[in-house]
Amino acid sequence: MNAAHSGPTRQQVLPHIRPPQIPSLDNFVPGSNGELLTQLARCIAASETRPVYLWGGKGSGRTHLLQAVANQTGTVVLPGSAVSGDYVPPDASLIIIDDVEALSAEAQIALFRCFNDQRPRQLRLLLSGSSAPLHLPCREDLRTRIGQALIYEVKPLSDGEKASALLYHAAQRGMKVDDHLIEYLLRHGRRDLPSLMAVLDALDQQSLEQKRPVTLPLLREILQPNLV
Amino acid sequence: MPLRDSLDPALSGADAIPNVTSFWSACLSQLERELPAQQFNTWIKGLRLETNGSPDQLSLLAPNRFVLQWVRERYLSQIQELSQQFYPVPVTIHLGLAGSSDAEAETLNGEVATPVEKLPEPVAMAPAIISGRDDAYDKTRLNPTFTFDTLVTGRANDLARAAAQQVALNPGISYNPLFVYGGVGLGKTHLIHAIGNSVYQANPGAVIRYIHAEDFVSDVVRAYQQKAFDVFKRYYRSLDLLLVDDIQFFVKKDRTQEEFFYAFNALAEAKKQIIITCDTYPKDIDGLKERLISRFDWGLTVQIEPPETEMRVAILKKKAEASRIDLGDDVAFLIAKHLRSNVRELEGALNRVLAFARFHNRPITIDVAKDALKDIIGATNRQISLELIQKTVADYYKIKVADMYSQKRTRAIARPRQVAMWISRELTAHSLPEIGEAFGGRDHTTVLHACRTILDLRSKDSHLNNDLHVLEQTIKG
Repeated sequence: MNAAHSGPTRQQVLPHIRPPQIPSLDNFVPGSNGELLTQLARCIAASETRPVYLWGGKGSGRTHLLQAVANQTGTVVLPGSAVSGDYVPPDASLIIIDDVEALSAEAQIALFRCFNDQRPRQLRLLLSGSSAPLHLPCREDLRTRIGQALIYEVKPLSDGEKASALLYHAAQRGMKVDDHLIEYLLRHGRRDLPSLMAVLDALDQQSLEQKRPVTLPLLREILQPNLV
Repeated sequence: MPLRDSLDPALSGADAIPNVTSFWSACLSQLERELPAQQFNTWIKGLRLETNGSPDQLSLLAPNRFVLQWVRERYLSQIQELSQQFYPVPVTIHLGLAGSSDAEAETLNGEVATPVEKLPEPVAMAPAIISGRDDAYDKTRLNPTFTFDTLVTGRANDLARAAAQQVALNPGISYNPLFVYGGVGLGKTHLIHAIGNSVYQANPGAVIRYIHAEDFVSDVVRAYQQKAFDVFKRYYRSLDLLLVDDIQFFVKKDRTQEEFFYAFNALAEAKKQIIITCDTYPKDIDGLKERLISRFDWGLTVQIEPPETEMRVAILKKKAEASRIDLGDDVAFLIAKHLRSNVRELEGALNRVLAFARFHNRPITIDVAKDALKDIIGATNRQISLELIQKTVADYYKIKVADMYSQKRTRAIARPRQVAMWISRELTAHSLPEIGEAFGGRDHTTVLHACRTILDLRSKDSHLNNDLHVLEQTIKG
């Protein structure tokens, strides 16, 4: 994995140009989420007609997964806060809503209607939220309908899996990163994947701008900007 | 680097047809290089090669059909390409399921044989009554799976069910309207669909309409916008059976209430049946016009209560049965213990357990259920309390919780109490005096005696031994 063999999306070694990482099921590090991924593949293939609900904390990758399904099916991910009370999806469509806890009171009723019309209107639902349905702060009639869905927690990655994800992400960017650097990052940085990835991106950026190789001292400078 | 070069030259000699094992190991190392380690480990590493000696045939066995599907969609063409680099002649690559007698479940040509599975695919409950569904039936908006047959009855709903069956037998005559109320997710909708389906079955010519109150509101709004109240009125007055779900959605919608009031009067006068559900007792609905509420008193108001543990277990078993799955008591009890308040979430939990078992190709045991339920319940680090033990044991033996600390000494009560004491000692850090205190202020020697008795009995009585096992698992969660 050296820079010459960088991913196809890498355009040119220029600062400020980031390879776009289009979310897909394939560039999601599975960890213990293998079952969930196959379930989402079923959603994409429309072979799952039951509503599916994913939950997990910030940085667990929920949005990535929803986006992946949306990309594959030509749909969009609606953030819960953007759903309006008069939301009516077309018949036989796949509805993808992220952060259901952010639905307004009216939007909750709109989603409630989608659940009720699901069978006659052949709607399919893929939802995500910050907590298990049992603990969702929303109206009870909606909450229990979500609770009837197929429920998956997006399981956080172990440190080893995060390391693997980071190495892959680095390779995609054409970065050459030593294992011990990743180890250091996992020990010293914030350990949710988006933050880790962001550090890696910053590291790449700095390395290009300062024309310095990706080394531990450079990583330290990024993690502790006050020291510089 | 071409794949063949990566092999031992002896194996890839020009005239020898390389064997499948060497191809597969080369293929594995190639994929390992190309794919992120996680992807490789999750999907590829678990594939098992099976050879039948034939050089142009290669079978790969996946641990379950989900991995099989995933590999087929994402990696099979890649493997096929590699095989073209590797072999001078085309080879057929079969993908199958491990543990399946038929390894050729799916081939590259897309032929599909039925894989042998431990668990069947989830199926909708057999439409018990509607065989040839037609337009007329579709217009009713009834759900064919919601019938009296598929409705589990218990203390929580037996009255409501009896009334519903009465109404289904004599629509428009016995109780009009039938007003069903109860909390969210207790089966009100199921019950009224069952009436609709039953009426339809007896009289397919009956004009039946199930409508959610929200949709009724939309209908009124539409009629208003399109100035089409005549059509609206004609439609609702043409019905033989009107089922309105969740009437609490009419609150503060005056025009809707007015239209419903007229439709209601017209239908009632013509002896057409009206059935209404609500999440509260009619008189407690704030924002509903008095004259409408008083109409509801004309008929019969019945309540559906939350199901008790045994009923939840029965519901789970029934739903599992509909998916042709035999659900063990211990697993059903475990699920029922975690989801107490409504039937909907009970079903969600069951679905999750079944999906989990199917994915991992494992039988539905208590351990599988526990793993699967983690997704449903979320991380709860629950402390096991004496109250929980008392409640669970009492439920299990169908006695009152109060009997746990009563002075009654009949065997039917004393034995469960001893069981609960023993479990309390096993599963909590409470002292024996504390346990005795919690069981009606009994002496610690009573607890000690109970523990000895149970210990002694369990070695002789396999039935009791099983009870203890189930209870322990259930309480530990």
